[in-house]
Amino acid sequence: MRNSLPEAGKLRLSGVTKKIGGFSLQDISLEVAPGEYFVVLGPTGAGKTVLLETVAGIHSVDAGEIWFDGVNITAWPPEQRRFGFVYQDYVLFPHLNVKQNIAFGARVNRWSKNGLEKKIEDIAALLGISHLLRRFPGTLSGGEQQRVALARALVTEPQILLLDEPLAALDPRNREALQQELRQLHKIAGTLTLQVTHDFEEAFFLADRIAVLDGGRLLQVGPPEEIFARPRSAAAARFVGAENIFTGEIICRDGKKFVRLDGALLEVNTGLSGPVGFSVRPEDILLNNSPQPGNCLRGKILICCEGVILQGND
Amino acid sequence: MKLFKLGNLVVTYLLLFFILAVVGTVFVRGLPGLYRALKVPEIVFAVKLSLYTSFVSTALCLLVALPAAYALARYRLPGRGAVASLLRIPLSLPPLVSGVCLLLFFGTTACGEALERIGLHFVFTVPGIIMAQFFVNVSGLITVLKGAIEAVDVRLEYVARTLGCSPGRAFTRVTLPLIKNGLLAGLILTWSKALGEFGAVLMLAGAIRFKTETLPVSIYLHMSTGDLDALMASATILILISLISLAALERKGAGLPGRVSGL
Ligand SMILES: Nc1ncnc2c1ncn2[C@@H]1O[C@H](COP(=O)(O)OP(=O)(O)OP(=O)(O)O)[C@@H](O)[C@H]1O
Ligand SMILES: [Mg+2]
Repeated sequence: MRNSLPEAGKLRLSGVTKKIGGFSLQDISLEVAPGEYFVVLGPTGAGKTVLLETVAGIHSVDAGEIWFDGVNITAWPPEQRRFGFVYQDYVLFPHLNVKQNIAFGARVNRWSKNGLEKKIEDIAALLGISHLLRRFPGTLSGGEQQRVALARALVTEPQILLLDEPLAALDPRNREALQQELRQLHKIAGTLTLQVTHDFEEAFFLADRIAVLDGGRLLQVGPPEEIFARPRSAAAARFVGAENIFTGEIICRDGKKFVRLDGALLEVNTGLSGPVGFSVRPEDILLNNSPQPGNCLRGKILICCEGVILQGND
Repeated sequence: MKLFKLGNLVVTYLLLFFILAVVGTVFVRGLPGLYRALKVPEIVFAVKLSLYTSFVSTALCLLVALPAAYALARYRLPGRGAVASLLRIPLSLPPLVSGVCLLLFFGTTACGEALERIGLHFVFTVPGIIMAQFFVNVSGLITVLKGAIEAVDVRLEYVARTLGCSPGRAFTRVTLPLIKNGLLAGLILTWSKALGEFGAVLMLAGAIRFKTETLPVSIYLHMSTGDLDALMASATILILISLISLAALERKGAGLPGRVSGL
């Protein structure tokens, strides 16, 4: 019956505001659908960790509400919410070995012992850490710690998984591997996942939808393609890798819209009007020696790199 | 350069020699008579009373210091710094002055009288000894425990709570095991200080033979009567206990809180 409700399994933040020290999250509103992989993208200091901690119930909100599955959980403490949490530096219990770390949540909740053994083995196998169960966290590599932290959060089958930059501290190869695993895990478990990261490519790869956070404010929420193609502010644009941002004005001619760049008119497809900022992505530039009307810009080739060809002949 | 090193070493070893010589004077002379002294009723009384009061006051210190240290380390209280400083007052007062304050508080104020009426007598009594030891030592234990708790990443408790622990359980299952060594060291320190506490005890509980006669008070009484043998015996017992707790501290100090055995 619950599933018929539109709110079922949905995480909703409305107007969440939290001041902490000199920093504040301001008026954060978002909805995450059941089973969705939602990524919050933002630069360092944007408040990503604070946001996740607030969703987990570690910080109480100053204003606004948090709803989950049709229930107002704003006043619930973390132990009542029980959202799986993985910190960016893992924060494993140093006095417990890997197995005890993973079993911690189950122990606290007094699970029966026989089911637990199997469960831990399964999760350890899934994450490739079966051989580490007797080791202590201080002896593990970053990637191994990351997997243990994930296992610890997953073993109690939380309804929401909160991941704080799970891949930031790993080298590129490990990062790629774990990225694949995260996606695989999400496919298997289908848990609503809220992840934060400062890495756009990671967000693009993993996310069903992305929110851009900067200075404690949400700048934009949407599918990755949309954030990539149509960032709605200069900050968001810079964040998704737009290197060159120009300012200009939208000009309407014959029902089409253009922006002016260096005396040329570039046609744009937008609902906006008036003064705008825009950017040209390098991958969208085509070189052509016979000028055509339309989105065409006169240019000059300054350097010709023949290095690649020379190397080939050597 | 060489002279510098030599100078430092000379000072260090001279000091070591001086300390050993001073303590050894009593220790070496007291040790042979120790066995005999332990049959003297007055000394046996003093040893028993000292052990009893120091254990009880240490337990009380723990009971009070642990929650206080946690509050100071973890909660964002208004005026937290001021509270922490004020709680350290007994630590900075001379124990004798603490004793005077305690005596006047329990002996002359309405509050003290009210406590008397419900049967809590502190002036010139054994509970007075415990109270004096507690008052002098509790701040020190709070300081030690606060430092130990602050050294434990609060996010460990956060994670424990997202896994279903109440705040109390997060403390007992995560923070407490991680401060275990600091806690033990603090308790040993508190206990050995309680055992040797003299000034505050003398003021509040007095120096009454076979009533409030702890080992330090016993030394004081025997000194005033010129009974050198008994004096030496009591002092030797205190030195022995100090050496043992020092050794225990050294062993605890070896394993820092939270250190994990490496591969
Ligand atoms: N407990 C706290 N007390 C005071 N200030 C805090 C606290 N926690 C976070 N802040 C401040 O809030 C701001 C946002 O911190 P947060 O850790 O959420 O950033 P972040 O987006 O996770 O950055 P990073 O990518 O570096 O992890 C920072 O300026 C930080 O100093
Ligand atoms: Mg962070």
